[in-house]
Amino acid sequence: MFYVFVFIWGFAMVAGITMVWLLAWAIRKGEFKDLRSGARSIFDEEEPVGMVTDYFPGEAPLMRQLEKRQ
Amino acid sequence: MSDAVAGNNSELEAASRIEVDRSAEWVVTIYWASSIFWLFFATFAGLISSIKLHSPDFLGSYEWLTFGRIRPVHWDTAIYGFGGTAASGTLLWLQARLCQTRIPFPTLLIAGGVIYNLGVLLGAIGILMGQSTGVETLEFPLWSMPLLVIPYVFIVIANFQMYFTRKSTHTYVSQWYLMAVTIWFPILILAAEACTNLGAVDGVAQAVANWWYGHNVVGLFATPTAIAAAYYLIPKVIGKPIHSYHLSLLGFWSNAIFYNWAGTHHLTGGPLPAWTITVGVVGSMMMFIPVITIGINHHMTMVGSFHLLKTSPTLRFAVMGSMIYTLASFQGSIEALRSYQEITHFTHYTIGHVHFGMYGFFAPLMFAMMYYAMPRLTGNEWSSALLIRIHFWCTLVGTLLYTIAMCYAGIRQGLMMNDPTIPFLNIVVFTKPFLMLRTLAGLILLSGTVAFAINFWRIVQPRKLRFITPTLLTTERDYKELLQWEKEIEAND
Repeated sequence: MFYVFVFIWGFAMVAGITMVWLLAWAIRKGEFKDLRSGARSIFDEEEPVGMVTDYFPGEAPLMRQLEKRQ
Repeated sequence: MSDAVAGNNSELEAASRIEVDRSAEWVVTIYWASSIFWLFFATFAGLISSIKLHSPDFLGSYEWLTFGRIRPVHWDTAIYGFGGTAASGTLLWLQARLCQTRIPFPTLLIAGGVIYNLGVLLGAIGILMGQSTGVETLEFPLWSMPLLVIPYVFIVIANFQMYFTRKSTHTYVSQWYLMAVTIWFPILILAAEACTNLGAVDGVAQAVANWWYGHNVVGLFATPTAIAAAYYLIPKVIGKPIHSYHLSLLGFWSNAIFYNWAGTHHLTGGPLPAWTITVGVVGSMMMFIPVITIGINHHMTMVGSFHLLKTSPTLRFAVMGSMIYTLASFQGSIEALRSYQEITHFTHYTIGHVHFGMYGFFAPLMFAMMYYAMPRLTGNEWSSALLIRIHFWCTLVGTLLYTIAMCYAGIRQGLMMNDPTIPFLNIVVFTKPFLMLRTLAGLILLSGTVAFAINFWRIVQPRKLRFITPTLLTTERDYKELLQWEKEIEAND
């Protein structure tokens, strides 16, 4: 049973230290510096801010190109 | 010149997105397809359990279908079967997209998915055969658990592999949640199994470990995955960045710090030191911080875009899930108070709350993710808008009917149980109509699942023509044209 406790606490310690390390690493990398552009990171030129990207099938207002796949 | 460069960049981004989606097609489809199977299975098992509560003779001659067996099968296949596979598929696709990298070692992940499903199946069979451990949420026989844990290791490795080889430069808030889940869940399940079924502790300490796990498997596994999905889908669908990125990070870190403490509120009134319960109550109260920040963020992001709920299936499910997250979390925090639990503890109220969270918050966000991603993964379009609408309304109506019936019945049940002059049988008789309403709600939810399964089955069918545009915004004309082309090709063949 002693080893089970060692395992649990050891695992918890490793996981906890990993989380703290990740936070410190993210701060060092500047992940929290420019949050405004961070929020926009899921957009790009093909799917920019302002573009709605989901409609019921066959009900989109735009005509999209269909292309044949091999 | 700049237009030409922009055009080239645009094509590169689009190609990258298609490449990422195609790399995930088989892996994610297998996880999500099995999640729908388990959702159907779990709901069906829940339906049998529900009927037994108001008609105890129903299937009463089969010992493997007695309430004590079919009810844990319902919950464990819901959380591990549906929840585990839906969340894993979501984690893999979302992380690949946000890292802009291909899914690594797909064959291993597919094999992991098969092993995981086998584990859930064998676990469910084990419970039906009478081998339940009796520890709530960990009822699967111990011998089946390695089949669930080992494949998850593959997912953890794949998650970190994608993150550390990513092409994107920023860690989006959804990635914080996804990374955290892969760290938290293995600790949760291994520590809980060690403290309960492996017998590292016994007595009330085992109950504490049990409910620490029971609460956290929802809060530190299902919830973060669903919130990650919401933080991606809502802004992505409406084309608007999150209202406050600062709040989103505050929400993540406060959730990470406080949720872990809340589990012991399940043991209020039990033979535990008072401080252990108080810790759980305080942890539950502190959860108002992440819940409010996440609620404000989701709502304020949607302001000005609510009209899109009419036209986007993904948004409907995502907003339903997000709004119910706020409501269910407020309900859960208040429910943790001792004064409140004097009435609601050991009543149907708790069951109503759990279903409100799982089917009102987690499940719709998983559905939203599938509605958004599957056309992009397969290159096909959903075959029926009507089936999507049926699925949505069945999910919403079924969940609300279930929750309202159970919560109202639970409060009345609790008030009556606190009155010693009321015979217990009168209370049972009082709750019977509400239990029948619960069965009706289960039937509605099951109908929605069938509608979804039909649509899912159709979208994964191989087709000769596939959309290769990065977004699948199809007009009726597009869709008819695609079908016409398919017919022509088949005729030529």
